[in-house]
Amino acid sequence: MNKLALVTTLGLTLVFATGCANKAVVRYGDATAVETTDINFGSTDLQKVAAQMTDSLLLSPVVGTLTQNARPVMFVERLKNKTSEHIDTESITDSISTKLLRSGKFRFVDMGRVEAAREQLNFQHDGGMVDPNTASQFGRQIGAQYMLYGNLSSIVKSNQDKSDVYYKFTLRLMDLESGLVEWADETEIRKTKAKESVGW
Amino acid sequence: MINFLPKRPVVSFVVSIIITTLSGCASFELTDLFQGYNSQMKPVKAAQRQGEFVKAQNLLGERAQGNNSYVLNLLERGRLEFLAADWQASQKSFAQAYVEIEEQGNKAKIQISKGFENLSAVVSNDNVTSYQVPYYEQSMLHSYQALNYLFQHDLVGALVEVRRANLVQEKALKAYKNEVYQAQKELNNSGMTTDSLYSGYPSMASAIGKVKNGFQNAFTFYLSGILYEASGELNDAYIDYKRAIEIYPENHYLQQDVLRLAAKLGMQDDLASLQQRFGKYQAQTSKEQGQVVVLIEQDIVNSKQDIGLNLPVGRSNSGLKFFSFSLPVYQETLPKHSKLTFKNQDQSYFSNEIVGIQSLAAKDLQEQLPALLTRQVVRVVAKEKMRQKLSREAGDVGNILASIYNIASERADTRSWSTLPDQVDIVRMNLPAGKQVLQVQLNGQQKNIEVDVQPNRITLINFSAIGSYTGYQTINL
Repeated sequence: MNKLALVTTLGLTLVFATGCANKAVVRYGDATAVETTDINFGSTDLQKVAAQMTDSLLLSPVVGTLTQNARPVMFVERLKNKTSEHIDTESITDSISTKLLRSGKFRFVDMGRVEAAREQLNFQHDGGMVDPNTASQFGRQIGAQYMLYGNLSSIVKSNQDKSDVYYKFTLRLMDLESGLVEWADETEIRKTKAKESVGW
Repeated sequence: MINFLPKRPVVSFVVSIIITTLSGCASFELTDLFQGYNSQMKPVKAAQRQGEFVKAQNLLGERAQGNNSYVLNLLERGRLEFLAADWQASQKSFAQAYVEIEEQGNKAKIQISKGFENLSAVVSNDNVTSYQVPYYEQSMLHSYQALNYLFQHDLVGALVEVRRANLVQEKALKAYKNEVYQAQKELNNSGMTTDSLYSGYPSMASAIGKVKNGFQNAFTFYLSGILYEASGELNDAYIDYKRAIEIYPENHYLQQDVLRLAAKLGMQDDLASLQQRFGKYQAQTSKEQGQVVVLIEQDIVNSKQDIGLNLPVGRSNSGLKFFSFSLPVYQETLPKHSKLTFKNQDQSYFSNEIVGIQSLAAKDLQEQLPALLTRQVVRVVAKEKMRQKLSREAGDVGNILASIYNIASERADTRSWSTLPDQVDIVRMNLPAGKQVLQVQLNGQQKNIEVDVQPNRITLINFSAIGSYTGYQTINL
């Protein structure tokens, strides 16, 4: 009886001790590998959305004619986040504009850096340290012809057994002068997570 | 104590089981076992009443991650940081609390660690189980988080939070019926009926008021309506105002909001039926006016109290037997708060209630009671068994020790988010654009609020009146 008690106690203590202990391990991974840590918006979703959107935009016949003899200037308006997650939408637009720039078919103006550019131009003209002949001139920037904008929305459902999240990402290209939407596309992502029935 | 007991193997076995289960993975503090959460929070609430929010935070202390009340501690901390106008810190605390709640929700259906927790709860009390955040507290979390984002000028982030709050309320609605039914069934299986419970347990009717369930929070809906309106999504705002008015149909400002949006969105059928309920609507906004919305937090919500009861439990072998139980309860009747008056150039506006937290908390407790009692029945029976065993094995010493332990450890779980306001009121008014001064009348005292009203925009004021403290924050949406 005594032995039994001792063994049970030891066994239980061991179970608890091992249940609590964990050891940190650091390693490098593939940045494009599929990530399924949890059901929330993740790197794989971001990559998927950005890749599909740029491919669709570059392959569309309308854009083909637009970019035949010219490299149109675009600016990216902020993506509207209509989901129930705090998503860095700038990161998505960054990926898309980088991919578009890399294709060599479009040029971009960056609205987020207007103040910094103005500061630099002010410094060149009024700072007294820059040769006026080499200073960049005010009022010579090129205006954007097209605006890229869109929104990201989600529907989340969950019950005791599983959770389901559906994302819809819509992107549109507007001709700023005429106001016409020249191109639009959407990407959908559905993720489900079944809860495990037994766990720690 | 240890010196006495291990004379007999069975005794040592029981003691070792207690020790191992009590030192399980989800750690807890020994004070929790013998001192209720309500009395632990007393000094914190006293400091909060005097407006000393930093002192209150220090009194609150910190809990380690993995502690059974870690989430609750984060909620209290986030609320105190919010009151201290430390938006970033508050945002961080609430975000961490949200992560913890999500993790709880994503856990497996049958959790082994939960089994150990319940096992240790059987030999001690419910205070050692990890805190389950009730739905109304979750919706308050997201509401304050939304305000945190707003005060940091992030409307998009705030909208994400109100969407999360809406998800919580939808989830609650779905889970509600099923859970209440299941819990009652289990209680009956444990040898006790809800009838015998209510014969001894005080009716909380006066503590609850007239809410229908413990999760639908009109304040959250209203806040979400304002934010949607501010971001130009009138349709979404209309839906949330309509949800809020189902809960508080007598709220004058809500009535006006619903009517205004119904007219603006051209919902003719809705407008007709709404006008029948709330009277004729006249559009009254002129161009040079802006809207001012005031959210008024009044006082601090009451804590749960501990109540001792003798209730009969039916045992299959020995018939009906009385056991003493310790249960949490809200005994105070619903506090009455005086309406605040806001004055601007001869016009007076009275505040209208949009949520009573104690109502929600007490209703939630009432819904949890059957499940709570089921655990309690298992516990008192197990403790009684243990006492009998000890008295047989270790004689009088064992009997006395076990009895002392049983009495000392029989303590109701009085944990709840205790730094929340007791009531939230709203006031909504159209004021001429430009700098305006609002005179607030509160318990005979007067306070001036300066606001910069922008034409055709909403200015939000969060006004707190807690004990002797009054303070406010304004933001243009």
